[in-house]
Amino acid sequence: MNRLVYLVKRLLLGLPVVLFGVTMTFLILYLGPLDPVNTILGRDATPEDVRQLRIALGYIYPNGDPVPLWDQYLMTMRDLFTFNFGNSWVIQRNTSVVSLIAARMPATLWLGWWSVVIALVIGIPAGLFAGLRSNTMSDYLTSGGGILWRAMPNFWLAVMIAGSLTAGGAFSWYRDFGPSTDVIGTSDALGAMLGPSPFAGIPVLGVIPDPNLGNILTAFKWILPAALVLGSASMGNEIRIGRTAVMESKNSKYVETAKAKGLASRRIILKHVGRNALIPLLPVIMGEFYLLIGGALLVELVFAINGLGSMFLRATIGADVPMVMALAFIFVIITVAFNIVQDLLYTVVDPRISLEATER
Amino acid sequence: MQSVEPDEETEPVLAVEDLQTVFHTDRETIRAVDGISFEIRPGETVGIVGESGSGKSVTARSIMGLVESPGEVRSDSSIRFNGQELTELSDTEYNEIRGSGIGMVFQDPQQSLNPVYTIGNQIREALRVNQGLRGEAAREEAISLLESVAIPDAARRLDEYPHEFSGGMRQRAVIAMMLACDPEFLICDEPTTALDVTIQAQILELLDELQAERDLSILFITHDMGVIAEIADRVNVMYAGQIIESAPVDALFANPKHPYTRGLLGAIPGQQADGEPLRTIEGDVPTPNEEATYCRFAPRCPDAFDACNAVAPAHVDVGGDAEHTAACLLYPDGETEETRVSHHQSLGTPRDDTGETNE
Repeated sequence: MNRLVYLVKRLLLGLPVVLFGVTMTFLILYLGPLDPVNTILGRDATPEDVRQLRIALGYIYPNGDPVPLWDQYLMTMRDLFTFNFGNSWVIQRNTSVVSLIAARMPATLWLGWWSVVIALVIGIPAGLFAGLRSNTMSDYLTSGGGILWRAMPNFWLAVMIAGSLTAGGAFSWYRDFGPSTDVIGTSDALGAMLGPSPFAGIPVLGVIPDPNLGNILTAFKWILPAALVLGSASMGNEIRIGRTAVMESKNSKYVETAKAKGLASRRIILKHVGRNALIPLLPVIMGEFYLLIGGALLVELVFAINGLGSMFLRATIGADVPMVMALAFIFVIITVAFNIVQDLLYTVVDPRISLEATER
Repeated sequence: MQSVEPDEETEPVLAVEDLQTVFHTDRETIRAVDGISFEIRPGETVGIVGESGSGKSVTARSIMGLVESPGEVRSDSSIRFNGQELTELSDTEYNEIRGSGIGMVFQDPQQSLNPVYTIGNQIREALRVNQGLRGEAAREEAISLLESVAIPDAARRLDEYPHEFSGGMRQRAVIAMMLACDPEFLICDEPTTALDVTIQAQILELLDELQAERDLSILFITHDMGVIAEIADRVNVMYAGQIIESAPVDALFANPKHPYTRGLLGAIPGQQADGEPLRTIEGDVPTPNEEATYCRFAPRCPDAFDACNAVAPAHVDVGGDAEHTAACLLYPDGETEETRVSHHQSLGTPRDDTGETNE
């Protein structure tokens, strides 16, 4: 089947998944114990204020009758699927959700990007190295380190590293090393790196009016500890899976055949071993991208980074319904999209996998 | 040590002398190939035949320089290819020999092609590395190679992946890939074992044709006596890491001398009279883990006598023309047991070993 046809088909099949995801979020928000009115007005609100707010938020009609859940649901869905995300209720009342998300997005993307890249850049070569020298001392050190790194829970590692970075900690020198920046909190360098955005004050990655190397370095230095923590688990996974994949591939008959052809071993490793080892690594690498969604929360909290993860948590606790709905909507779409990308990549990496429904 | 007389006409393509390949394990050192010697002359097909575990494939890998730790080709072994000593080459130097000098076709075509690259890609890779062909020239050469191994619709099949080929087609593609290296000498390690009988016959025929066309020398390894009879000019019979009989193919089948060879030939279905059960050789190939100071076949040998357990047999002439030799204390024929044994004892030069049994 044509890749394009497949893509369209998968996109259409993804729609029900997105709908299901946001429906569940809606039900949990509206049927759960959260009460936005209470959060917004506090305990001493007068009944009249409460009534006014309920009308304003769309819970009741002006005549006092409750708006049926079904109607609220339909209106919410209509707004979501027309990308009309509305204004925040709690986090920053009457500010548009889009501008709030856009303001936090760069920090999370910057964190997520580096956590994926650092894990890839260290994990894949380390796994390759360990696999090529399997059962030697250097393999034991590498894969042992990988297992240890994998075993340390994110939240624990985050607290340990954040702690040792503060004054008096083992890594306190890191703050004074190179460009000066604090590592806890959100660095100004990130904003400076992005520069003023043409879109009404909304900073957007990719629109970099001033790609100042100094700013980028500073922003990198700032995010490095957090990115290491966030990428730690996937790095360990990549080392272990990469090692196994390489060991399996390097002992295969086609590698022996390639040697018999007179190929240099570097070429054999890069071309014949590498490509085959990539097949089991693909889901591990793709799985990392989900870190951008779920994993960032803890790390953002510990490192006090003003990102989407921490905002998601605050929005949920504060019952900021439009914000939670919008973020959930975006996250579900990202997840579905990555799944489709992964399936397409499979067919690129491994020609034995066919997009056709019927196998020969 | 027999001296090799240089002969203009039949200068061997490959001369293996006292090849010893050992594998070190925690408990013992396994002598997978224990001091074998043979030669292959231009255009000749030499067969190596033996049971599983007799050291056939290790011999092939030793020649290709593909023996890896914990395996090791002992330093007093000698493998000369066109006069060049291979055992002393570095890995980079060996890469020059592999492919363009010596090619190898492996047993399982299913696994000897990389599943993620097209057939064309893998053939063109061999062309580029060994013949420096690139681009359109490489593609055309690849097509003509696939045609020469009788793959129909070669231009289209070039862009297909190995899983889109049938088993026989895959082995043809592997052979084409090895021919792309343009070797002088081809090692075939059980190339037909994984294929069914009709395909097997086609592949053997193909190898025969290619050999005539390209003047290839072939080392053909198999456990199948029928295949050997069809393809080989000379046959070396291996047992537990040693060659125990070596003969031109006709002499071997007409007049097998070593009790083991007789046993092998007797175990081919269809050789016995009606109603008689198929004969077998009792027992298994022993793991050769110590120096051979006795005949390794003695425990299974129907003709063994006391001396077999105490004297290592040396190769003696059994055909009268120095072409047919066997390592067995039963020969030379017509002598008394005592003279035979002392003859072997005098031939058996103690090898300069790593020290365990030195005087």
